Amino acid sequence: MSTWELFTSGFSVLMDPYTFLMVVFAIVVGTIFGALPGVSATMAVALGLPFTYSMAPVPAIVFLVAVYCSSITGGSITAILFKIPGVPSSAPTTFDGYPMAQRGEAGKALGIALGSSAIGGLVSALAMLTLSPQLTQAALSFSPSDIFAITFMGLSILTCLDSKNILRTLISGLLGLLLACVGQDPMYAVQRLTFGSGELIAGLEMIPVLIGIFAVTEVLKQTKKRETFKGEEGTASVNTKMPSFKEWWGIKWLLARCSVIGTVIGILPGAGATIASFLCYSTETKLSKHPEKFGTGIIDGVAASETANNAATGGAMVPLLSLGIPGGNAAAVMMSALVLKGVQLGPLLLVNQPEYLSATFASMVITNILMVVVAIGIAKVFAQILAVPYSYLGPIIIMLAIIGAYATNMSIADVKIMAIAGVIGLIISACHFNSAALILGLVLGVICEGNFSRAYTINRADVIGMFSRPVAGSLMVISILLLVWPVVSSLFKKKEA
Amino acid sequence: MFELICNILLWLGLLYAYFFNVLEAPIPDRTARNPYTLKPDVWPKAIIILLLICIAVNIINIIRKNRNNPEFHLDALMCIRSRLVIGIALVVAASFILEPLGYMATCCLVLFFYGLLLGQTHVIRLAIFSVLVTIVLYVVFSVLLSVNLPRGTIPELRNFSLYVESIVASAKSAIGM
Repeated sequence: MSTWELFTSGFSVLMDPYTFLMVVFAIVVGTIFGALPGVSATMAVALGLPFTYSMAPVPAIVFLVAVYCSSITGGSITAILFKIPGVPSSAPTTFDGYPMAQRGEAGKALGIALGSSAIGGLVSALAMLTLSPQLTQAALSFSPSDIFAITFMGLSILTCLDSKNILRTLISGLLGLLLACVGQDPMYAVQRLTFGSGELIAGLEMIPVLIGIFAVTEVLKQTKKRETFKGEEGTASVNTKMPSFKEWWGIKWLLARCSVIGTVIGILPGAGATIASFLCYSTETKLSKHPEKFGTGIIDGVAASETANNAATGGAMVPLLSLGIPGGNAAAVMMSALVLKGVQLGPLLLVNQPEYLSATFASMVITNILMVVVAIGIAKVFAQILAVPYSYLGPIIIMLAIIGAYATNMSIADVKIMAIAGVIGLIISACHFNSAALILGLVLGVICEGNFSRAYTINRADVIGMFSRPVAGSLMVISILLLVWPVVSSLFKKKEA
Repeated sequence: MFELICNILLWLGLLYAYFFNVLEAPIPDRTARNPYTLKPDVWPKAIIILLLICIAVNIINIIRKNRNNPEFHLDALMCIRSRLVIGIALVVAASFILEPLGYMATCCLVLFFYGLLLGQTHVIRLAIFSVLVTIVLYVVFSVLLSVNLPRGTIPELRNFSLYVESIVASAKSAIGM
């Protein structure tokens, strides 16, 4: 079947009114699930599974893909409005989205998040349809040392996140890397840094830590601000004005870069949307003419993170459909649903059952377009919550944080970790450390160590040999230059002054 | 001063972890003998060494900057009395009472007391708000998303949760959900 035939047959599937309605329903459900803290994209897809039991295989995959894509986008809504990342991949969105909402630009931040999500999703869907086999082969040729080099490149942002506080940012990043070591080591499952606690053996769960450091810390900071306050007030004026065409045009290259990077990262097994959004945020910080503005509430930061995490959704579908290898947890849930329906995922899918690839593509395209309209409606409802007095809103955020942390694994220990993370976030802020750097270290730490260990063993302890591959070698050189440059340039500036 | 104390405590904590907590179980013999594997303690120890150096430099920087600063002191009494400390205590307490009291009691208490802490003066309105939000969150997470919210271990509260769940279950079966 040619690409054009795949293209047209996919859309003909969606012309069926029942399938189309299911996609719209999936978008609403997925966006709301994604916006709720503690409900990850994987959980959203899993919650969507029962709806597919009575469906035919093609509408089932169309439905699940729509839930998956829209849940990733939904995560940005609470990230921007309440600093609660609905899904872990929305964590970098809080860096700029929340300051924008605090300035009363919630509408613009949400508009950028939804629009850039759609662009990222569309680009990755197109890549999935046209380059699926080639992209999969390229991604599978990546060795552990290449993946380590990619994640190390993500860490190279550390010296750039706060150019005035390089040392403290570096400490924060290293603390994040150390926290990622808590639990069992990735190669031999030897217990480390658990301080005798059985609850830490499995390591620190990402969602409770993210919710604690972002949401709980923010409520505690607001509590301190209201030290002398009595009575009621709304937190911020809500302006739902959307971004202008000029603003979109200004970030066109950013959108293109993040779409490509996000798609490629999405294809890599074990990487996924979270790594993609952090990596794109760091890349854009490095490439920006005004890196110091990142984190203060600019549209570039929101667009980088959201384009990348949605581009990764299409990327994750590539190895699933063409090789039968799920790129991430959500893809694994989808795979189990399709296998139940008798779909043979893998290289023969395109030959025997090409309608699945074309239906997935069409679903992604339609979802990413309709999602903007649906999610704007949902986001506007959520945005009105900002006008609620903080004495009501603050406690609700605390309770959402508690439920969100608990719902991840139905574990009380995760709630305790969330509360401790909230207090640690406050201390980090008081000590002028950088919570974004800490989260970056925590997210990338596990992948970094795991791939470094594997590469070390494969290369028989030859560290130089590990980076003799062209991809790994060149990425490491670039990363080291990026890591060192801000330090060197600040030293030069000091000398000149 | 607070920053300095935190940095010193962090430095000491890391030093302790370096010697006593990096490895909490013996390395398997096969791993220990294999010269081509990265031992499980190498990566965290390398990070801790880097951290110890960076934090030491940070401590020196803080002391240097504040050498002649007359306001460089810690008002312990002010810290303890602050609303922030009560907020921290409430959040930490909520995480600990969730298991014995269950979701419903914890949610009501957190919403009510944190609302008071944030300056809400209408006590009755706040109490009604706490109960309503508890119900809304219960419906969203427990009824619609099937999240098994904690029932509590105190018999009375647990029985109340089970009673609510039985009402929800019969309502669900009545509407064919």
